[in-house]
Amino acid sequence: MKPWQEAYEKRYKAAKERGRSFFPYAVFKDALVALIVFGVLSYLAIHFGAKLEELADPTDTTYNPRPEWYFLFLFQALKAFPGSLESVAAVVLPGAAILLLIAVPFMDSGPLRHPLNRPFWTALGIFAAGGVATLTFFGLRSPLLNPTQERNPQVMAGKRLFSELNCAYCHRINGKGGKVGPDLAAVAGTRSDDWLKAHFRNPKAVSPGSVMPKLNLLPEEIDDLTAYVQSLGTGGPYSPEAPKLFAADCEVCHTMHGKGADIGPDLSHIGAARERGFIKNYIMNPANTKPDSIMPSFKGQLTGLQIEDLTRYLAHQR
Amino acid sequence: MSASNDGGPRGWLYERTGVDRVWDALFARKVPEAQGWVSWLYTLGSATLFVFVLQAVTGTLLAMNYVPSPDHAYDSVRYINTSVVMGHYLRGLHHWGASAMVVLVGLHMLRTYFMGAYKYPREGTWMIGVLLLVVVIGFGFTGYLLPWDQKAYWATMVGTNIAGQTPFIGPYLKKIFRGGPEMGAATMTRFYALHVLVLPAIVGALIMGHLFLVVWHGISEPPTRAADADAEKEPGR
Repeated sequence: MKPWQEAYEKRYKAAKERGRSFFPYAVFKDALVALIVFGVLSYLAIHFGAKLEELADPTDTTYNPRPEWYFLFLFQALKAFPGSLESVAAVVLPGAAILLLIAVPFMDSGPLRHPLNRPFWTALGIFAAGGVATLTFFGLRSPLLNPTQERNPQVMAGKRLFSELNCAYCHRINGKGGKVGPDLAAVAGTRSDDWLKAHFRNPKAVSPGSVMPKLNLLPEEIDDLTAYVQSLGTGGPYSPEAPKLFAADCEVCHTMHGKGADIGPDLSHIGAARERGFIKNYIMNPANTKPDSIMPSFKGQLTGLQIEDLTRYLAHQR
Repeated sequence: MSASNDGGPRGWLYERTGVDRVWDALFARKVPEAQGWVSWLYTLGSATLFVFVLQAVTGTLLAMNYVPSPDHAYDSVRYINTSVVMGHYLRGLHHWGASAMVVLVGLHMLRTYFMGAYKYPREGTWMIGVLLLVVVIGFGFTGYLLPWDQKAYWATMVGTNIAGQTPFIGPYLKKIFRGGPEMGAATMTRFYALHVLVLPAIVGALIMGHLFLVVWHGISEPPTRAADADAEKEPGR
């Protein structure tokens, strides 16, 4: 043992002698703080609860993954690194930071403990803590990668039913799923809502010879399922006017198969990324879906029929 | 309170279990006194321990109503939220408790860092503390997937992709975490086992070590410039 370590032990022992009993002196303070923490947590739990979003959907490519807030600084740091160096920011730097933390007592050894007597380590600590706080702040404020999508709750309920009833066992959607029944993306839009509802009530009533079982659904469930199936397709054929309308009104900003401007996104495959309802709402009023969109609203500029036509045309672009 | 066998039931208990000596060592021990607001900084560690116990209790109660499979996880969490007695409160506590763990561990570490409390003879306490921080983050990461909602799924997708970026072992890590090339039922059972079996065992052992060292070395006294000046006079630094 070095002399200063011996001296420290002596000094600490003296400080302990002068000190107070852990119980109740420290235990009282600990208990009080624990009580306050419990109160704050209870308030948060009762007033905000824990959110539960929609059921996980592995096919959803438009979702904005948001990590829990304590990972945000890492994600924010990730943005500063180009693709090839991403592994450095994502794994190597945090790993090095942990190793550095473990090694701190050996690098900052010696008896001096007051922060002002260890200017380098104090500055490093403030710099690191400040950096994490700043990155977290900017991470919280950074805009979402994908615009938040206004979802039709009925469509979402239908989608959940679709998975609960294991419909994909027989039906495929855009080629994914069973092969017993028809591809629902191809069927959607070719049948009316009433036909689909009658079909869900009793498949054989409208499709004689169908092997689909009777589902015994509630009327609301039939409505949900109908909304979902209708949302899958392109909404039926579009008129020859639709491409002309697009060329006249949209190509000023958007590209379609290599033609048009690049102020807005390329829409050549928009039908694969967005459902029909989303496209229609977006054409009518972009700000409803994406508040900072610079695209003008076409509601009023185009007739309802034209918007529907344009929607079907865009939904066909897959 | 020392062992005094007067023949009564208390003396009998002390002789057989030594609880009086345990009490003396843990609670009747003397600690250096800190003055004013600084003394409150010394409560951060015990507050962390308190929230950990809260997480263990709420987590156990949640596990009684939870099903770790992609087919049922979401519905079982919804069931906890809507139908289980106090389920909404319980899940809220566990959710916010996770954030509180990170906050308190962070503050506790800042206190230790800026007071230089990791110095001789408490280096080991500090190192175990850093490992505890890593395990707390591991709890957060594995727990996030369990509700199997959109947020859970996609955040874990991103997280396992990041693990896949590790030099050399990345692709294997990713496969081990996901239980295969894709995320699915195997990912979920893996994360569940890590969250409720593996990490609690590790954290339990680390906490025992951490607490033992805290008691063994005694709680560090607040640093003063006077004490530092005394120490500088020591020869042979």
